[in-house]
Amino acid sequence: MAKIELCNITKKFGDVVALSDVSLTVEDNEFFVLFGPAGAGKTTLLKTIAGAEFPEKGLVKIGGQIVNHVEPKDRNVSMVFENYALYPNLSVYDNIASPMRSRLYRKDEAYIKDAVDRVTKMMKINHLLDRKPSQLSNGQRQRVALGRCLVRDPNVFLMDEPLAHLDAKLRHFMRGELKEMQTSINSTTIYVTHDYMEAMSLADRIAVLNKGKIVQIGTAQEMYYTPCNEFVASLFGEPEINLIPAVMKTEGGTLYLRMLGQEIDLYPEEDTIDELTAAGTGDIHIGLRGNDIRFAFEKPGDDWFEGTVYANEPIGNKVIMTVDTGDCKVALTCPNDTVAKLDQKVYIRPNMKNALYFHGATKEFITRNNKARYTGKKN
Amino acid sequence: MAQLTLKNVYKRYDNQEKKLFRKKKINDFAVKDVSYVCEDGEFIGILGPSGCGKSTTLRMIAGLETITAGDMYIGDVRINDLHPKDRNIGLAFEDYALYPPLNVYDNLAFNMRAKKKSEEEIRKAIDYVAPLMKIDDLLDMKPPALSGGQKQRVNIARAIVRRPGLLLLDEPLSHLDGKMRQQLRQEIKRMHHEIKCTTIIVTHDQMEAMSLADRIIIMKDGEIQQIGTPLEVYDDPANEFVAGFIGEPPMNLLPSVIIKNQENFMFTFEGSDLQVEVPKKYRDVVKDGMKVTLGVRPVDVLIASEKVKSTPVPVAIYENLGDERRVSVRVGEQLLSMTTTDDVYYEPGQKVQLIFHEERTHLFDPQTGERIRG
Repeated sequence: MAKIELCNITKKFGDVVALSDVSLTVEDNEFFVLFGPAGAGKTTLLKTIAGAEFPEKGLVKIGGQIVNHVEPKDRNVSMVFENYALYPNLSVYDNIASPMRSRLYRKDEAYIKDAVDRVTKMMKINHLLDRKPSQLSNGQRQRVALGRCLVRDPNVFLMDEPLAHLDAKLRHFMRGELKEMQTSINSTTIYVTHDYMEAMSLADRIAVLNKGKIVQIGTAQEMYYTPCNEFVASLFGEPEINLIPAVMKTEGGTLYLRMLGQEIDLYPEEDTIDELTAAGTGDIHIGLRGNDIRFAFEKPGDDWFEGTVYANEPIGNKVIMTVDTGDCKVALTCPNDTVAKLDQKVYIRPNMKNALYFHGATKEFITRNNKARYTGKKN
Repeated sequence: MAQLTLKNVYKRYDNQEKKLFRKKKINDFAVKDVSYVCEDGEFIGILGPSGCGKSTTLRMIAGLETITAGDMYIGDVRINDLHPKDRNIGLAFEDYALYPPLNVYDNLAFNMRAKKKSEEEIRKAIDYVAPLMKIDDLLDMKPPALSGGQKQRVNIARAIVRRPGLLLLDEPLSHLDGKMRQQLRQEIKRMHHEIKCTTIIVTHDQMEAMSLADRIIIMKDGEIQQIGTPLEVYDDPANEFVAGFIGEPPMNLLPSVIIKNQENFMFTFEGSDLQVEVPKKYRDVVKDGMKVTLGVRPVDVLIASEKVKSTPVPVAIYENLGDERRVSVRVGEQLLSMTTTDDVYYEPGQKVQLIFHEERTHLFDPQTGERIRG
């Protein structure tokens, strides 16, 4: 159990800057997720905490102690890897017992038995104790690797994409299991993933990384509802958020937006107008998620935007329809029995209550309706 | 343009090849009694887990594998013994196999030049397909300079440039990452909409099959499990395998014993207090003490607001995923999940009463996996 602090960490591989001036604090007992696309520096950051990578600049603190020059084995961290790294010649029991038999953290066999019992019950692998890794399914191997990590009582658990190698179905269930177990993990956890659903489901807080830099730190709700820029907005949600270029004008004291090259005035919510005005630009990008756009095949009114069906993809519980409006393509989520022919006319109307506004040039977040509601919101 | 017919097609790899598949029993067929008709202009998806025979089927259609038994027809012509080059088929595989020293234009032209087509004809054909696959800006580039997505676009363009009667695509998207994949998926669908060529795509990704195909053929262990439109296989699965394979998040499949409680039948679950009323439509097919596998999709499990015949159970997991909320309860060893787009919060431990959507609750025979219909 410990607080983890990283201060101005910079790490280079040759000329490539893997981490650039990264600072963050993970509170004691917090479940903290490092999230971002491939190559963002997530794993490098994790390895820096574990001691497997040595930063050129900056301090790593575990429980208030600077550990830059502490050997990995002496940092008392417990790590689980993407590719499990189980000992193929040892049984499940011995694999899980192995960290407690190391020279530094040795425990007596009675203690080990209790500890292995506890985690194997938690991971639901207590019927597999005598098996070798080769006799296990992928999902079971993953549980053993997690069990081996959780059996110890370290300063911090480090988990590097532990579910990435599982197929979609198993991942769905394992994520649930992990979420349920969280209450019984009494330690700081830092978890790396590139799956936004894992990040949103598991995290107390998320740090979004891109190209070695921290872009935003916050709760899942803050990321989804008040992303700090278009990059963060596009990482959360499926289909990806629509970012539609719009022109903002004020006429006779009324502020309105026009988009998609059509002469329909859109009026932002009352509480967003001050910040929109203060942005000092008419070049706005409106962020609209698939759920926030209604559609109709018969024109319901003059204030509906016109387009044609570019793609219509049934994916089971919903249909993702992509509408070509001439200027840009807009993806929306429709009920699963929606039938549309390609190139057929369709009319759409955004729900401005949920619109996110971004600065057209800098791509930075400006505001949204009811912003305060999402600040610090966890669920 | 062509209609493709398969009649009772079997494939068994001969003994020499057999050594590669030593684990399989002798007499095991890679493809067993496969029959279907692809209508002219239809887009068919063959979907299944690895080793289900989907690629073998495609290779037999292309003529790359011999057919052990059965007949194949393109239109009225039996093609079993027809040379691959005479079948008028366009093929695109997962790996692109482009000629690296040739630029995109010459790659596309290669097969047509081999057939001694005039340069003018070739230019016309390429001018038509290049914009379809959005590669008209790349014609002068060589393959090593292209991204994976661009290479696959060229690969598919090369397969359609000769305007084949039948287009076969074998996992064309599986090398590509998320966004590229989604884009190319849309382009392929639009290309098909434009040229209306009978197309078969082989994939293990249910989302890909659902979003592309007019009809999906689901295979397992060499046999067809179900043929239907995306909505049919999703709403009306023929058996437990199809039910579990289609849909994301996956369908809840829970072993259950049905008991009769006064006038009502209830689902009960080993290791759990949960009891949920059996939908009325199954009243005539269920008995007291009957074992079934209950199948219900997460979107079809609802949390009741008024009193219902269902035991209150504690919420195990609550996840807010932005686009939707997922709530799961423990049922013995397994989790039963539900999803909702409503903005609600359930505290773990809080008791809820569940009901299952009447029309979309499925029963399967726990032994055979076959659907029990009400």
